[in-house]
Amino acid sequence: MSRPLFFICLAVFAVAGLAPLGAMSLRLGAEGEALSGLLDSRTLGLLGRTARLGVGAAGIALLLGVPFGYLTGRTDVPGAALWRPLGLVPLILPPLLLAVTWTVLVDLRGATMTTLLMGLSTFPIVALFTAKAAGRIDARREEAALLAGGLRAVIRMELPLLLPPALCGACFAFIFAINDFAVPDYVTSVGPKFNVYADEVYLSWQVDQRDARAVATALPLIALTLISLLPALALRRRGAMATVDSDFQAPLPLRLGRWRLPALLFCLALVTLGAFVPIGRLLYEAGGGRVAWSLEKLQAAFGEALSRCGDNLAASLVFSLAAATLAMPVAFVLGHAIARARWGRLLEVLVVLPIAVPAILFGIGNIALWNNPTTYEFYVGGGLVVVMLAGRFLAFPTLVGAGAVNSLDPRLEEAAELAGASPATRLRRVTAPALAPSLVGGWVMVFVLAMRELDAAILVPAAGRTAMFKMFNAVHFGRDDFVAALALLIVFVTVVPGLLWTLLLGRRLEVLP
Amino acid sequence: MSTPALAISPAIALSDVEVRAGRQPILGPVDLTVTPGEHVLIVGPSGCGKTTLLRTIAGLARPRMGRVALFGELASHGPRLLLTPARRRLGFLFQNGALWPHMSVRKTLDFVMRQAGLPRAERKLRGAELIDLVELTGLERRKPATLSGGEAQRLALARALAVGARIMLLDEPLGPLDAELRQGLLERLQRLQAEFELTILHVTHDPEEARAVSGRTLHMAGGQLVSEELHG
Repeated sequence: MSRPLFFICLAVFAVAGLAPLGAMSLRLGAEGEALSGLLDSRTLGLLGRTARLGVGAAGIALLLGVPFGYLTGRTDVPGAALWRPLGLVPLILPPLLLAVTWTVLVDLRGATMTTLLMGLSTFPIVALFTAKAAGRIDARREEAALLAGGLRAVIRMELPLLLPPALCGACFAFIFAINDFAVPDYVTSVGPKFNVYADEVYLSWQVDQRDARAVATALPLIALTLISLLPALALRRRGAMATVDSDFQAPLPLRLGRWRLPALLFCLALVTLGAFVPIGRLLYEAGGGRVAWSLEKLQAAFGEALSRCGDNLAASLVFSLAAATLAMPVAFVLGHAIARARWGRLLEVLVVLPIAVPAILFGIGNIALWNNPTTYEFYVGGGLVVVMLAGRFLAFPTLVGAGAVNSLDPRLEEAAELAGASPATRLRRVTAPALAPSLVGGWVMVFVLAMRELDAAILVPAAGRTAMFKMFNAVHFGRDDFVAALALLIVFVTVVPGLLWTLLLGRRLEVLP
Repeated sequence: MSTPALAISPAIALSDVEVRAGRQPILGPVDLTVTPGEHVLIVGPSGCGKTTLLRTIAGLARPRMGRVALFGELASHGPRLLLTPARRRLGFLFQNGALWPHMSVRKTLDFVMRQAGLPRAERKLRGAELIDLVELTGLERRKPATLSGGEAQRLALARALAVGARIMLLDEPLGPLDAELRQGLLERLQRLQAEFELTILHVTHDPEEARAVSGRTLHMAGGQLVSEELHG
């Protein structure tokens, strides 16, 4: 590991990811009374409700994600190559969009609707983990099970290998669900009140603008997130069943036989619920809806969305591109250190801290850090949005990078070391090209998460220019073809980089930690 | 284990070297002397420390104590690395080749020589020579995944030679190959050893096969060198 490079990257992470947390902690220390009443019955009730939402969403994600990931990743289900990318759509779609479309189609509201929506939004995480773990089971192990007892024996042998990574995915689904603010907020706006802890954090800040109070309010939620992050990290390590060396034999797709049709129907149903219905509904609304749908109206809605929000889309695009580009090299170097250094586990815990706090709190931390006379210009500019997004989401590409480095035979780097390559050269010329799908996957992940980010950005001045912020405001003031067209444009811009990489270059993406 | 007193510096000299994994000793204490131009076989059961011995000599594993010297120059003293792996000028043939999957035959060799600071024209010339030497002509643009087992190991051999190695450490590189390829590669190694005056330390599971080209066999067990057998 190149020490100067590592310390530069650590410094970037410290400023973008840890300093806002430090600023929050200092405020909390200065206003000790903010902690009073933290564990009253109302707070505990709210926490319990949020935990139930998280467990429900993670359970749904597990129930849907494991079979979907296994079927599309390892079996001969018809159209697997098509279902795999389509299955990612619910994760790419901002959860708010799922809420906006499904609340029109289904009469459910409150806790049930929010849990279902968060489960639907997060099942691709579990599916991705499952598919990746299944793809790493050596063909010879599988063949041995097949000879011993057919398909049933294969599944029995593989299930214990798939469960740890699937549970790791479920932990991440839990974290996404309990920290989401926009979906419960929107579901409440169209039905009976269902407030969760993230609402409470936002409100406690909005009411009296005292960030110490908001930090104190968020502490139980942070504890809940940390409790689920630590097992996620432990389970992640158990996901890699093989290293990328010459001895590994990739398994062939399993033949499902008479189960092919039911498997196909399951995949089709899930993709329909998570991708076709929301996007179809938005297309329907953008074209005029039930009154008089027409292509002209669809065109006009897109035209209006572009003319009214073109600048916002451009701002979102620039912020997200810059955040992903800033995060990727830093994440790669830190990920390499996590995988290879003796103190990697400590660094790993440090790196996930920014996602252990609710997004809103991370935004408040950035305000506390940067909103002062010395850094005011930076605070009101787009630079803060870029740094905030990079800091917030750095954990994901870092974990993706660490996982990829772990699966790379260390002898490849040792051979380069013996050849005289410096640590930086080894990273750049040997490790990075061998892990290109993971590095680009990490980049795409930050880009997608930054494009759909609302909760942290809602408080920062320049983030008011983003397309997601515009849409958040628009859906609360009415639903029309313009909102639907804007939502579709956001989705389109979000998927473009990943599509370009996979379609034009024909390369796969690795997006798993 | 040591050979009789030498007038010139030994190629490899280990004295009292011990390596631990946590608190568990995995190698040593070991004393070993290898004269320049020797081909020494190392045999022993799995997990007895053969690979750790090679990695310690290469500087890839850090000893807890002891000295490692190469051609009279102290390479490590206790846990302190006095010569980085790159400055030890040795080639390492890994069991699976450890070839860089994204680099073609030509780029692999070019990359290695570039690290040594060779100018472009020289790299091109020397690269062609090495490719010719290991009989990979015509495969310059191929990547490791498209090479056969024998071709891949010949590329690994060329890569090791490209660093200008004086010492070659072989960690069961012939294991995955069939008998005919193994024999061919051993003969090639013998020729290269004579041509480049290489000192070879060769970990193998099949000492009989390599016996003809080597001078002695060292037996390892439990992290120790337990016996030595000189070949007639």
